[in-house]
Amino acid sequence: MRPLLVLALILAIGAPARALDFKPLEAIPVQEGGRKKPCLVFAEENLLALSGRTALTLDGRTQSALEILSGLWLAPEAWGSKPILLVNNLPFKSAAGLDEKRKWFSRDELAANPRFLALLQHAEAARRTAMDGKLTGTNQQAAQVGERIARLDQLRGGELLRVVANPAGADAAWFPLPPDDPALAALRGAFVAGDPAAFAKAAAALRTALAGEAPQFQPPAWKIALEVAYQKVHPFRWAWILYLAAGITLAVTSLRGRRAGYLVAWLLAATGALFQIAGFASRIAIAGRPPVSNMYESVIWVAFGAVFFALIFETIFRGRYFLLGATFAAVIPLLLADSQPLALDRSIHPLTPILQSNFWLATHVLIITLSYAAFLLALGVAHIALGKVLLGRPPSAALYNYIYRTIQVGVLLLATGTILGAVWANYSWGRFWDWDPKETWALVALLGYLIVLHGRIAGAWGGFGLALGAVLAFQSVLMAWYGVNFVLGVGLHSYGFGSGGFGYALTFVAIELAFAAAAAIRHRAGRSAIPRTGGDATVLADQSA
Amino acid sequence: MMAATTTSPDTQRDATSARRRRSPAWRVIHFLGSLKLALLLLATIAIACAVATFCESRFDTKVAQAYIYKAPWFVVWLGLLCVNLFAVTLTRWPWQRKHLGFVITHYGIITLLIGALIGSKFGFEGNVTLHRGAPPLDRITTGRSVLQIENPATGEFPVEPFDAQFARPTEARPTTIPAPGTPWVIRIDAHTENLGWDEHLVADDSPRAQPGIEMTFASRMMGQHLALPFVFRDGGAMARDFFGLAKIMFLDRLPARRSILISESQLVFAKYASVVQSADGASTGVRAALSADGGTVRVTLPDGRSTDLDRARIFGQPQKLGAATITVSEYWPDFELVAGKPRTASNQPNNPAALVRVEAPHPGAGREPRLEIAPTPSGIAYQLSRGDFLVSHGAARVGEPFPLGWADWSATLAKSLPKARIDSHRRPGATGMPGEPGLRAQLVGPDGATGPAQWIGYGDTATLAFRDASVRVGYGLESRRVPFTIGLKHFEVPRLEGTETPANFISTVEFRDAQTGAAQEGVAEMNHPASWPGGAFALATGLNYKFSQAQWNPKDLDETTLQVLYDPGWLFKWSGSLAICAGIFIMFYLRPKKK
Repeated sequence: MRPLLVLALILAIGAPARALDFKPLEAIPVQEGGRKKPCLVFAEENLLALSGRTALTLDGRTQSALEILSGLWLAPEAWGSKPILLVNNLPFKSAAGLDEKRKWFSRDELAANPRFLALLQHAEAARRTAMDGKLTGTNQQAAQVGERIARLDQLRGGELLRVVANPAGADAAWFPLPPDDPALAALRGAFVAGDPAAFAKAAAALRTALAGEAPQFQPPAWKIALEVAYQKVHPFRWAWILYLAAGITLAVTSLRGRRAGYLVAWLLAATGALFQIAGFASRIAIAGRPPVSNMYESVIWVAFGAVFFALIFETIFRGRYFLLGATFAAVIPLLLADSQPLALDRSIHPLTPILQSNFWLATHVLIITLSYAAFLLALGVAHIALGKVLLGRPPSAALYNYIYRTIQVGVLLLATGTILGAVWANYSWGRFWDWDPKETWALVALLGYLIVLHGRIAGAWGGFGLALGAVLAFQSVLMAWYGVNFVLGVGLHSYGFGSGGFGYALTFVAIELAFAAAAAIRHRAGRSAIPRTGGDATVLADQSA
Repeated sequence: MMAATTTSPDTQRDATSARRRRSPAWRVIHFLGSLKLALLLLATIAIACAVATFCESRFDTKVAQAYIYKAPWFVVWLGLLCVNLFAVTLTRWPWQRKHLGFVITHYGIITLLIGALIGSKFGFEGNVTLHRGAPPLDRITTGRSVLQIENPATGEFPVEPFDAQFARPTEARPTTIPAPGTPWVIRIDAHTENLGWDEHLVADDSPRAQPGIEMTFASRMMGQHLALPFVFRDGGAMARDFFGLAKIMFLDRLPARRSILISESQLVFAKYASVVQSADGASTGVRAALSADGGTVRVTLPDGRSTDLDRARIFGQPQKLGAATITVSEYWPDFELVAGKPRTASNQPNNPAALVRVEAPHPGAGREPRLEIAPTPSGIAYQLSRGDFLVSHGAARVGEPFPLGWADWSATLAKSLPKARIDSHRRPGATGMPGEPGLRAQLVGPDGATGPAQWIGYGDTATLAFRDASVRVGYGLESRRVPFTIGLKHFEVPRLEGTETPANFISTVEFRDAQTGAAQEGVAEMNHPASWPGGAFALATGLNYKFSQAQWNPKDLDETTLQVLYDPGWLFKWSGSLAICAGIFIMFYLRPKKK
């Protein structure tokens, strides 16, 4: 608890002058979490962990993650009183007696809050007695804030900033800079004095000095430069903006200017897909593995897959509906991934041992998630069909056929992916199939879509039933994809586990079911009023064998 | 095999309906292969699986497996699905070119399910824990609960699958199993999840009897109270493990332990965390805290007991609390540091702080706690220690509890006998602490006469008596002999760079054929199992034992646990799988275009 004494000794140092440029620190490699990353990424990930943001408004101006990290590192005394720790849960804030209107709190005010400290101790006791070490409710929130405080302290001590390469070996732990390192002292001096020229000089000197430590174990410069660029460009944000533009273009040109609108939308969507491809390529190059190891990666991959399939189908059918359905269906997951960085962790992690197999990751996981993408596309197109039904305009047979084609792709990929998963499990876990929740829900989803397809062959339902089925069966995909990891929380696929978003997911499912029910009621009413349209019958005759 | 593709759908439809009218057998086939039945089966299986996953999340895996996945009705349902899949391919007879994908897919699923059936009937899954340097093993523990009942005629122990948790035998509805090689049956008429040992010290007059004591242990926090007897065995000490918390030893004399006093000074704030400094780096484990107004000092001892002291009254005077001595030597109502020197800014308790000096025996934190008890000429003496450090000691008198310092447990000497033995038997809920599963069994003769009933714990073997004879019965996980031995040569856990997080687990094992003695080395790492025997034939048919990395012990890097799979259905599983994927592809994308 020495920092508190030091705090009492030294008065807060004034905020550094605006003119300091932190860019030279950006590309310094830091070893953290089992890999080496640029200091910029380290700073943004850590600020995200502390405050849920990658930039914060402090002392009346917006400060970048790198600037805040530099402050924590070079002038730690001032940071005890700055409100940078995120406390977001309302029930927890009221339990701890914190101002419910505020989102961020300072370390000192939390440490001086006896109710908060009591909650923290209670959580600690609960962790010791909990069978599986898992916490819930207030305890979980308290532990989360406790971890933020601990991280802040470690950042203030500079011990997390492991920048000095270890000559002992490629896998050896790097060191933080010793407090009396001359390069660090120069940098600190320049920072405290707020001298831009001295700071730039000291930063450059530090960078050169660090690059000279155990050069054989330094990461390649291109990799660091690529990751800095990836971190700054946000390709997946561009992707959803472009998809949204494509979708809106298609929607507004549905009556007039159809050809031109279609072309523009096609180009916009393709550009968005290219941004995503560039993003995936960067992640693959940085991590050296397929980009499907956690929820964030699978969410952006599924969005990409939906657009990718839509573009292929559009080249075959030129039907507009694929693209319209895909762009909106892709925007939602991408927007979610972009706006919920705490629930969907976008940082690049090394793989857990069980996933350390590029062959199986690339086959099983990519194929399974591509099947989700096809079903997402089917959901998007089905929404258009059901929307038409609701508006009293019976969809064409062609539209129903699009849904059928898309579900076909999904069924083939889901069956293949599930079976490949079983074969992988046979090697990795020593059994082919054992009703693990993830396996089981993949099977339930597959059976759901098989029911949709077989019911149509049997004549139990036609095109409308297919559209309805695409919406209903997608809920089982949601369960297999999100629910098993975030709701059930049991089974062997635990590396994908997480928490949060349950309320949103439930709302989504409720809205979808209500939408499907409304369309079904409208469809029934429409059918009894007017003679049966040719649409259903045509598709039925087309596919029955 | 394929009929000419020129047959139009209509002529085929006519032909099949004519067939159905003529032959009752075809009518049955068409019913069994109907799409309606298929939809019913698919829907029920999907719903059952969905329910089962929630069951598993709510209860546990065993429940979901017992009532759904591995329940007889589910197996029958899958069987019915196979019949449906087969019948539906017949209804399309004679097959045409366009039926290729359809037939391949449906037969693929049947093949896969046959593979699953073969695997579950003739294969097994288990695990084996290996230690480097330990002798090689020839037994694998499977996940199946069994009874192993001795055949007195042959001396063998045949295996009978039985899990009391699901059979749930009661006196009204007992399970009976024939005892092999005898005219008797074993009747199991009760089960429990909480079997414990009921143990008491009783006087014994036999010449070989040894001195003994009975201690009672109580914890209010855990709501527990239990009795543990100790006797010397063949003149030697007796040790017990206390719930993994500590060790209790009954010895002929107390071993010498060091008692070291350590001192530390604690700068205690009302509003901030304390700053603790100790002379030699060891912590006393005593914690002082100051109330918000600075008026009360709360001292918490390592055993969790805390005492509130009036700060003004005890100022400067050493206070004895348990084995620790506490002195409040400085106090500042409004603490601040000026030029590195502490002083008070005012007399108002704005930032109360106190300097507390603590002197206490070395608590030996992190070392194993032990209670040592020994008879002395003047009575029974005890000492509490951690590692080599003595924490406290005293005389144990009957009926006088003393604190142990392990959570809030206290111990009391209940009785002490110069010649005693331990009388023990198993009983559900004997200790009040969580016990282990078990069942109650007895032998029953053909005439209905019964032997004494006895509880058998999970993992135990008991002897059931009947008149003059007896049968040994073991209950627990099946231990299966394999035709080779496996030993661990090397275990390696590479880490992610700069962390302690494992990146892989690599077990190098040696297999040795039990008959030929031929040795073979295998490496099991994540995603790459070791197999015995090797070879492409064994790999393709699954007629081999696969060892996949399953668990490790972070505290013992010479230990590894491997999952073992023997799956003779593997050939059917992978060929069926391949057929399903290929069939779906052909059906969707390679169908002949309609004329």
